[in-house]
Amino acid sequence: MMLDGTEDEDKFLAAGIAGLQQNSFYMHRALDSNNLRDALKYSAQMLSELRTSKLSPHKYYELYMRAFDQLRKLEMFFEEETRRGCSIIDLYELVQHAGNILPRLYLLCTVGSVYIKSKEAPAKDVLKDLVEMCRGIQHPVRGLFLRSYLSQVSRDKLPDIGSEYEGDADTVADAVEFVIQNFTEMNKLWVRMQHQGPAREKEKREKERSELRDLVGKNLHVLSQIEGVDLDMYKDVVLPRVLEQVVNCKDELAQFYLMDCIIQVFPDEYHLQTLDVLLGAYPQLQASELACFFPFVDIKTILSQLMERLSNYAASSAEVLPEFLQVEAFSKLSNAIGKSYFLIRMLLKRKVYFFTSFSCVFPMIQCLMLLSLCSWIVVIEAQPDMPTVGVVTLYSSLLTFTLHVHPDRLDYADQVLGACVKKLSGKGKIEDNRATKQIVALLSAPLEKYNDIMIALKLSNYPRIMEYLDIPTTKVMATVIIQSIMKNGTRISTSEKVEALFELLKGLIKDSDGIPNNELDEDDFKEEQNSVSRLIQMLYNDDPEEMFKIIDTVRKHILAGGPKRLPFTVPPLVFSSLKLVRQLQGQEENPFGDDASTTPKKIFQLLNQTIETLSGVLAPELALQLYLQCAEAANDCDLEPVAYEFFTQAYILYEEEISDSRAQITAIHLIIGTLQRMHVFGVENRDTLTHKATGYSAKLLKKPDQCRAVYACSHLFWVDDHDNMKDGERVLLCLKRALRIANAAQQMANAARGSTGSVMLFIEILNKYLYFFEKGNLQITVAAIQGLIELIMNEMQSDSTTPDPAADAFLASTMRYIEFQKQKGGTVGEKYEAIKVSHAG
Amino acid sequence: MVLVLALGDLHIPHRAPDLPAKFKSMLVPGKIQHIICTGNLCIKEIHDYLKTLCPDLHITRGEYDEETKYPETKTLTIGQFKLGLCHGHQVIPWGDLDSLAMLQRQLDVDILVTGHTHQFTAYKHEGGVVINPGSATGAYSSITYDVNPSFVLMDIDGLRVVVYVYELIDGEVKVDKIDFKKTTTSHSAH
Amino acid sequence: MFEEALCLFTKELTNPIVRMKKENGQMVMVPLFQSHENIVGEVIIEPTNGKKVEHNGVKIELLGQIELYFDRGNFYDFTSLVRELDVPGNLYERKTYPFEFSCVEMPYESYSGINVRLRYILKVTISRNYVNNIVEYMDFIVHNYSPAPLINNSIKMEVGIEECLHIEFEYGKSKYHLKDVIVGKIYFLLVRIKIKTMELEIRRRESTGSGTNTYVETETLSKFELMDGVPVRGESIPVRLFMSPYELTPTYHNINNKFSVKYFINLVLVDEEDRRYFKQQEITVYRLNEKS
Repeated sequence: MMLDGTEDEDKFLAAGIAGLQQNSFYMHRALDSNNLRDALKYSAQMLSELRTSKLSPHKYYELYMRAFDQLRKLEMFFEEETRRGCSIIDLYELVQHAGNILPRLYLLCTVGSVYIKSKEAPAKDVLKDLVEMCRGIQHPVRGLFLRSYLSQVSRDKLPDIGSEYEGDADTVADAVEFVIQNFTEMNKLWVRMQHQGPAREKEKREKERSELRDLVGKNLHVLSQIEGVDLDMYKDVVLPRVLEQVVNCKDELAQFYLMDCIIQVFPDEYHLQTLDVLLGAYPQLQASELACFFPFVDIKTILSQLMERLSNYAASSAEVLPEFLQVEAFSKLSNAIGKSYFLIRMLLKRKVYFFTSFSCVFPMIQCLMLLSLCSWIVVIEAQPDMPTVGVVTLYSSLLTFTLHVHPDRLDYADQVLGACVKKLSGKGKIEDNRATKQIVALLSAPLEKYNDIMIALKLSNYPRIMEYLDIPTTKVMATVIIQSIMKNGTRISTSEKVEALFELLKGLIKDSDGIPNNELDEDDFKEEQNSVSRLIQMLYNDDPEEMFKIIDTVRKHILAGGPKRLPFTVPPLVFSSLKLVRQLQGQEENPFGDDASTTPKKIFQLLNQTIETLSGVLAPELALQLYLQCAEAANDCDLEPVAYEFFTQAYILYEEEISDSRAQITAIHLIIGTLQRMHVFGVENRDTLTHKATGYSAKLLKKPDQCRAVYACSHLFWVDDHDNMKDGERVLLCLKRALRIANAAQQMANAARGSTGSVMLFIEILNKYLYFFEKGNLQITVAAIQGLIELIMNEMQSDSTTPDPAADAFLASTMRYIEFQKQKGGTVGEKYEAIKVSHAG
Repeated sequence: MVLVLALGDLHIPHRAPDLPAKFKSMLVPGKIQHIICTGNLCIKEIHDYLKTLCPDLHITRGEYDEETKYPETKTLTIGQFKLGLCHGHQVIPWGDLDSLAMLQRQLDVDILVTGHTHQFTAYKHEGGVVINPGSATGAYSSITYDVNPSFVLMDIDGLRVVVYVYELIDGEVKVDKIDFKKTTTSHSAH
Repeated sequence: MFEEALCLFTKELTNPIVRMKKENGQMVMVPLFQSHENIVGEVIIEPTNGKKVEHNGVKIELLGQIELYFDRGNFYDFTSLVRELDVPGNLYERKTYPFEFSCVEMPYESYSGINVRLRYILKVTISRNYVNNIVEYMDFIVHNYSPAPLINNSIKMEVGIEECLHIEFEYGKSKYHLKDVIVGKIYFLLVRIKIKTMELEIRRRESTGSGTNTYVETETLSKFELMDGVPVRGESIPVRLFMSPYELTPTYHNINNKFSVKYFINLVLVDEEDRRYFKQQEITVYRLNEKS
């Protein structure tokens, strides 16, 4: 059976009141007999009743009020006590001996009040101490009531102007600081209430919170009552601090209530003077409720008057325009209008409730819109000698304004840009630094507003403005555009859009007018080109036909980029193409015999030509890698001649262009690795390619590298799952050849004395023997393995060999492996059983 | 408890624009004690980004890496475990477990981490573990079709290592857990 | 049974008189000294009922003793001084013997703990043949003072349970005099558990004996609530604990190889399920020489 919550609560309240009364009785007895010690003891016990968690705020308030009355009496007693000679400082310490924090802090606030009155210490010090010590109560309800008690007892003791507590050390700033701090802490506690307790009781908590809101709001009232808070202090301290808390608390209920409070308790004159601060706070609020306080501020009148006067002023003479630029009047105004427009939109959503205010504000905003767009353009055009920077600044502000007010009217934005182009025409490239900065701002505005480059691509005047930028600025702008695309994950999905985009980005894509820009730092260049490379990933369409067109467009542009850019731009294009190949792979070739349709073959043709641009002097290693990628893709498409062609290209590069020994090793690994995976080749082609690969392997610069590459080649003759590619004899030949090279390496090492490493090669080859032995290659015999093990053992014990811990470990793990395989049992175990391992090593 | 992030084959910017945003938000500085990267980052920006996640960064060279100074193989000891790192294009046939096992024996390590195939795998092999964290960007691979972005987080605790695999499938991060216990300690004692 | 003689000690009241708890729990008033003071006084012996007392001499001893309760009956005298007051003879009437121990070295403070007591006594013995000696004791207290330490570092530490709770605390000092105030701050860097309260405890650890016979007793002297409710991340909670209400002694290090007394402040966080998370820090307590 469920217990009735309210009934229970009544019981708890009754018990609390009873406990409180009993202890206050004893407290009074102690007060009457001037027994300080007992007075403290019983008052603390009485206050302990406030430690309860069982009451709703409403009932708790009832209990608190009773305690409050008793505390007034206690305060009087403390005052008398100090008059009787008891030191207030001692008293202030004495109450802090209480073990429980809540009673302790109530007593501290009570004594603190007497302390301030005694003037034995500056009021601000005591207040600061009290507001700080109250941090100990983190429980929202108990904390709110405690701090409300603090606020109550300190109200008449603030060091306000004209107050008896004002002094050298105590100023009104201290009073304000104290109240704001207490307010901030109270608001935090109040907001926190919402997040404590189970979610299902959210509504109940919301209700309870509303009951407590005046405790928080009271602080703002106290602030407004402080004589010393004049306009300056309100503007510089009070409002920013209060708004900071309002914004930061991120709680709708609190924001709505507190904004309302601010408007209500402070005079209108202050609001007018701090309009932009107040307006600046709106967009930062948790939006849904903020329109509610709108009727209290007469924004419409203020703004329209201001607007009219400024427009007239601006039109009157050319001399005043610099003034506007200096104070950023236009941007402030358009900002403010943008924001009030935002408010109107909020009002629209709540039209029933705010119907009256909505109906009068909306036409006004419309008027402002028209007035500003037309009249401002007229105003600007009427200034023939205006410097470029001024022109651009104005248009930039105007564009921001337009985008804010009419996000759905792209034609307005284009109109502003068009007006700007007109104004700039005939001026050539802009060289003034400040002006180019403004253009970047102008062009960035639509990107920031819509987070979508596609919108900018729709603005016909957008690329026309870019014409006026110098080369570095074009690049900056291009980077801004790419960043916007990357940040928003915008996919550019048609070749037309790609074309338009590359037009905007041409500063990065190619050298302008064929003049290579050598001034650029190499790192900056790399970063720039890498961003282009990333961008290419974003040019994508699921439809193969369109994707092919995109690839073709991109290819056309990047091939014009010159030798320095190609290594950056070709790889992403190649991989985009290979992805398309894979998409087409499953499909029947030319189902309708339509020559125009996209086929893997066509793509490969394009790829071949594209990669070719990389070979030669540029980046032969990269080209070789890409050829091999293509070869494997062709393999997957069952296009033998294409695959063979790619391999041939790769081989030519290897033979003619790759000379660095380390690059050769990597290339050989990739060649063998890829070739090993090719199944498309017929016997003849395969033989040609494997033969060459083995040949390259044996010709590497260093013996150990030769040896390793040669034994890797053994895998070309033995491919799992392909029975026609299992040639045990040639595997053995490879391994034997590797052994011979290892031997030669060994002799060279002996000659050089002290060189190590060739034993390692023998162990590696031993492992390869074991590998093929296990795979069932009958050419690999137990005797051969046995012989190899003995050879290694002898080598390692030979005096001329320098000890090599790595080889020891490798051998040990190989031996363990043999043991392990033996113990496996079954066919594998049986096989291995024949290998006898001496434990001499 | 030590957290080791293992990842590789990002192929930025050749095959992918960036790490998936979901991964980026998961990888925050200060949580990870070591990063091991099998290679193919490919550019310095990515190296610098990984360095911000954890200064203890170990990288081996992939064939596309701009930085050619990364070593071909690397071994390091974390707690009770000896780890080996290699990109894997040097081990032929690519992705072949028996051949990777040979490399594991050669490096004499408990855990071998390699990449190249863009396919996440984790095998227990002869008392050791062979892990491939896949491609952290889900980059195109000639070897593996339909690559999902993935990386591996290893939680090394005493003789135990828990391998968490994070895979991005249709925009959602899926986590898998594989538990390995080291049985012999004598293994790498020399 | 009646004593045959009554001994009284008198002393001019230049030294303060303090309360001392006797073994039976009774409070008595005894004089307070510090090391290197002169202990001067008189012994008055008066035979009861005017009976003659035959004796083999009268002496007074000043003893500093350590008494370990688990080793009852054994006293370790670390100080023992003796003055002969009278040669063998007879006593017929009240007689006054002045005595003086000058500049007495009393290195340790009087202490009465759970397992150990360190006491100073004056002991008068009237030796007799054939019958029991007449012996009378008087306790006195010794306190030794130290100047304020030159170096007094703060205690600062970050502790936490991974992913659950992370706090940083700071106490202004590591050395406190008996009437000092512990001032500090607790910063909550991460709070994922529901904390109900936070307390600061002062704990005393008395260890006696040595080796395998070490006895350790820990008492919690104060439970001082610092916080009520669940803090959020970023919150800082002030600490201000006055030490004067608690009966503390200075920290004693290995007194005469017999015992030590150490003090700790223990920060305890209690969660809603009454689990306690705590971190203990040693502090040094000293007796401040207020005159200097």
